[in-house]
Amino acid sequence: MVLSYPKTDSMFIFFSELQGVRVTDKENNAIGIFYDMIIEPIGKYARSKALIVESGSWRKSYASVEWARVSEVTENGIRLDLSGSGLNFSAVLNHKSELSLRQDILDQQVVDTNNQNVIRVNDIHLLLADRDLVVAHVDIGLKGIVRRLGFEAFIDPVVKLFNKNSDYIYKPRLISWKHIQPLSINPVSMTVKVDVSSKQLLDIPAADLSEIMLDLSPKHRLALFKTLDITTKSQIFSLLDVKEQKSLLEDIGQNESVEILNHLPTDEAVDFLGELPKAAVHNVLGLMESKNAKMLSTLLGYAGESAGGLMTTEYIAVSETATIEETLRIIKEKTLKAETIQNIYIVDQENHLKGSTVLRRLIIADPLDSVMKAALKKTVSIHVTDEVKKIALLMDKYKIYTIPVVDTLGVLAGIITIDDIFSRLVTIAWRRTRKKKQL
Amino acid sequence: MSKLKDIINSRWRQILLFLSVMGPGIITANVDNDAGGITTYSVAGAHFGFSLLWSFIPTIVVLIVIQEMASRMAVVTGKGLADLIREEFGVKVTFYSMFVLVLANIGNVMAEFAGIAASADLFGINRPVLIIACAFFVWWLVVKGNYKSVEKVFLGACVFYVSYIISGFITKPDWALISAETLRPQFHFKGVYLVMLVGIIGTTIAPWMQFYQQASVVEKGIKLKEYAYHRLDIIIGAFVVNIVAFFIVVVCADTLFKHGVRIETAKDAALALKPLAGEYCYLLFAFGLFNASLFAASILPLSTAYSVCEGMGWELGVNKSFKEAPQFYSLYTGIIIFGAAFILIPKIPLVKIMLFSQVANGVLLPFILILMLRLINNKRLMGDFVNSKVYNFIAWLTVVIMILLSLFLLFFALRPNFMN
Repeated sequence: MVLSYPKTDSMFIFFSELQGVRVTDKENNAIGIFYDMIIEPIGKYARSKALIVESGSWRKSYASVEWARVSEVTENGIRLDLSGSGLNFSAVLNHKSELSLRQDILDQQVVDTNNQNVIRVNDIHLLLADRDLVVAHVDIGLKGIVRRLGFEAFIDPVVKLFNKNSDYIYKPRLISWKHIQPLSINPVSMTVKVDVSSKQLLDIPAADLSEIMLDLSPKHRLALFKTLDITTKSQIFSLLDVKEQKSLLEDIGQNESVEILNHLPTDEAVDFLGELPKAAVHNVLGLMESKNAKMLSTLLGYAGESAGGLMTTEYIAVSETATIEETLRIIKEKTLKAETIQNIYIVDQENHLKGSTVLRRLIIADPLDSVMKAALKKTVSIHVTDEVKKIALLMDKYKIYTIPVVDTLGVLAGIITIDDIFSRLVTIAWRRTRKKKQL
Repeated sequence: MSKLKDIINSRWRQILLFLSVMGPGIITANVDNDAGGITTYSVAGAHFGFSLLWSFIPTIVVLIVIQEMASRMAVVTGKGLADLIREEFGVKVTFYSMFVLVLANIGNVMAEFAGIAASADLFGINRPVLIIACAFFVWWLVVKGNYKSVEKVFLGACVFYVSYIISGFITKPDWALISAETLRPQFHFKGVYLVMLVGIIGTTIAPWMQFYQQASVVEKGIKLKEYAYHRLDIIIGAFVVNIVAFFIVVVCADTLFKHGVRIETAKDAALALKPLAGEYCYLLFAFGLFNASLFAASILPLSTAYSVCEGMGWELGVNKSFKEAPQFYSLYTGIIIFGAAFILIPKIPLVKIMLFSQVANGVLLPFILILMLRLINNKRLMGDFVNSKVYNFIAWLTVVIMILLSLFLLFFALRPNFMN
């Protein structure tokens, strides 16, 4: 939505400048001071929805006024177009489900989705248009702190005296509201306060999102996690280390845990389950979809660092009797679930590995030919008990990114992709350099 | 995952669970026995014999009550104390409490380096060499290590406090008399006695501890269901720290008080012990002082930098680079350099510095305790984990007593003539 306010009537004002200004009713009687503001989203921005007035000096009480009844806003005061006697003051603030600037934004941590980090809000920059206030920016700079402390009038001239072009004065650190993702949660019930659209968050790659999450307090981390969709959730989950994974699953509860595990690629799920005690694994598998559980329990039978433990079962295999056309159709069907669609494995009825081919060959081949015609001359495979080193050497020797894993009978059990091997090798290499350093 | 719990029922499992959450409580409590603490206890023993021993029992209670609240807030909200103060009370309250915290902690760090300087004298090591080496070690430990390894080093340092307990047995005091005195609270309305009493409780509960304790519980990621084990950590910590302090008083009372030796510092105490209790006792005392000072000097700058950055919203953490978290590293490094450099100045009045840090702590403590009580009774933050009525009564009583004691200490610290 485009903001179509006449520019001449608009001005910027900071939330801190509004705090404590006098609120008067239509007869010009003082009824209290500005305390807080409830906001509602309009497109990428947010607009004032209600005003919270504070009254009393020792025993404070608060009243909420719809913004429609606000008739004038200036730096010196706010005027309402109703009479003060009609307001309902109470000792407790009750806006549990709505976003308020003072409680949910000011001084709180929020996510800056543009720079992808967690920041603390020092002040809020508002656009005053006619009598509406629109949240324009949040101030995260030192200037915001200085302003709130009431030192601006003293510090600013001093800074100017020493450095005329100081960044402090001329480059205030304001972040546009459209990049701000509030993390307002009810810390007790752990419910996210407003159904904040997390579209902005979804633009951030999962790897970066998981780093942002590590900067948050555990509760905020959980709240943020809960707002994501299941695909992002399982991506983030697979990026965490085992200790964090366990802790996360304990926090989110059984149903969601099982959902995540069901969505996880088999190799990642095996990595995680392999770290749990046997009885716990049994429990988890009992709760999962039976198809997934069966596969996982087979995979868990292999040693963690062997081919069997590393492989995934999400590969594409076609019957040796299939045509090229049929093969391409199968690839299209399975493309979402499969780990890779570059390599296609050819098997017989008992799933014995007969050969393999690559997407490039299939595309240029005659659609009516048998898939065996497009098969590679030689298909290198490894045994389920082979170790990381051997797998790495073979992949390096033949310059391949994916290698099929077979059991003793030559039945195709799964595939290993370069990323699984690579992360293992990095771990080994890192351990070595660290050992060297310690010596 | 609730079924996971079914497996967790054997004793062994419980012990393991306790070990996994152990740390924050015991470490924080032990850092209380820093250079300032040891000085206070030594002087208390030397000047008043066993007559102040009873005060360790209420001190244990107070320590547990306050530490438990900090930990409960950490576990329930998942946030540090500075975080919560900022979010609930705004910039002004945060800024001023952080400002005083930094001042108080610089004073505390100086006191720790003074303790290191004193132990350098006792061991006959060159003062500047040991101070610079320790300052560098402290800086390196945190910047180049990670929290887990640092925590292990810290837990290891706690073990060395045993040296005081051993020296307590070396002097072979009259245990029957000691236990009688410990269980018999006594009050002498003499200025010096009261100041000493205030000093003992005051040195055990300092403002920075609340920040450190809460931050390390958050950092450790202790969960609500593990909380019972963590509470045990706090209780053990409170007992251990007071037992160590108890033994310091016992040693000094049994030797120095008996022979009427007057001392001013922990160094005096160690020196005076040499002819009275023997070479071993002297060495154990000197080593204990060094360990305590170094230990506290490692934690204080880190804790300060952490709290300030947390409250002001600056990037923080030992896993960040200097470029990512400039304020954090500047503060951390600055406090160490400042604390160490000051002590390197020849003929610096060490006793006055310790006094200064005690004053700053005394001013800040009441404010922090009141903020803590307001936070922990905030239903929006704590839900069902707010203080119960009985607990609140004990907590407020504790806070009121602590405030009175702090004011009292402040009063006497500013008018040292009263002591004589």
